[in-house]
Amino acid sequence: MNLFGLIPSFLFVLLASSVGAADKASLTIQGAKLSVSSADGSLLNSQTLSPPETASPVTLGPTDVFKLAFTVVTSDSKTPVQPHQVFLRFYDPKTDEEGIHPIRVTSAGKAKLELNMAKPPLTLPPTTESPLEVTLLLGSYNYEPASFPLFSLTLPVSQPPPVHPDEASYHPLPSIFHTFRAEEKQPPQVISAVFTLLVLSPWFVLLVLWTQLPLSVPHLFSSEVLPFVVLLGAFEYLLVQYWVSLKLPQVLSYGAILGFLTAATGKRALSSLSKWRLGEKQ
Amino acid sequence: MAPKSSNSVSPTAASNALDSLWRSYVDTTPSRLKLIDAFLVFIMLSGAIQFVYCVLVTNFPFNAFLAGFSSSVGQFVLTASLRSQVNPQNREQFKEVSPERAFADFALGSIVLHFFVFNFLG
Repeated sequence: MNLFGLIPSFLFVLLASSVGAADKASLTIQGAKLSVSSADGSLLNSQTLSPPETASPVTLGPTDVFKLAFTVVTSDSKTPVQPHQVFLRFYDPKTDEEGIHPIRVTSAGKAKLELNMAKPPLTLPPTTESPLEVTLLLGSYNYEPASFPLFSLTLPVSQPPPVHPDEASYHPLPSIFHTFRAEEKQPPQVISAVFTLLVLSPWFVLLVLWTQLPLSVPHLFSSEVLPFVVLLGAFEYLLVQYWVSLKLPQVLSYGAILGFLTAATGKRALSSLSKWRLGEKQ
Repeated sequence: MAPKSSNSVSPTAASNALDSLWRSYVDTTPSRLKLIDAFLVFIMLSGAIQFVYCVLVTNFPFNAFLAGFSSSVGQFVLTASLRSQVNPQNREQFKEVSPERAFADFALGSIVLHFFVFNFLG
């Protein structure tokens, strides 16, 4: 199939190269006859072909023998010509399958073709019940190329053509549907409320425990310590704001400023605390 | 010693031991360390309740649970190390670390921890 698939493109090159020379003489065929005989030799169908008229449809049985004979001549002087290329093209318009069968032509322009359906040639395309269009293609360097639709041909049904291994890749895939995990369900509000109170209850424990302790913060509001405590609080406020609204770069830049100030005030506050502590001891 | 008598004696002995432990804690611990201890109890309770909520009810939203629980754990570690460094009985082991230095470390560590916690809260 591949080998013969090349031939039409080669013919096309031939056709294209001959377009330039418009003054070339054209070819036609003469005395074309086709016959269909059964396996035992009895004649089933016999027709004379006169292109460009097409002959009546031809049907071949599984053991029939098909014969075609014609002479290639120039269309004006009817001189026999041996063209360089002569092919019969079998084309199925429904399945788009085609077969190209080369025909040998003698130097006197005579061509004979015999197809025995008991031994079908490999050049026939895979067939269905639909008829094939049979076309004769003539190609020559010295003459205009010619193409004659001859007749439609119904052949016995063949095996289906083999499916190309990549064939499945050339179909649209089923559309993709995204499935999302189900929404997490919230616990009942009562349970949420109870656990909110439970989680907050340690604050109550902490406050009770701290009020039990005899605590004194004599230096908290001194000018050395207060800025440090305030700045620590500001740091926590910044982090809460980070959670609520701010973006990371803003937090980092504010944090750098705050961190510098906090470190400076912290050093001052803690060194003065240390002095007071050592002073008390002495 | 007969097992019977030991069984009958041990509850009171245990409660006596606990009682004397509590008394000695209340009497001898400086009030600043008690302040830290109260804070540790607070952290432990809140972490435990969050964990119980995660196990019993739901871990949704998981990032909030991670942030809350890990802040409890991290704050507990930081506070416990602060306590051990400012404890007068550990003076010998932390000669070069003054209580002020320990508090500065605690403050810095807490701020970094809170930064990560708020990052996780989402």
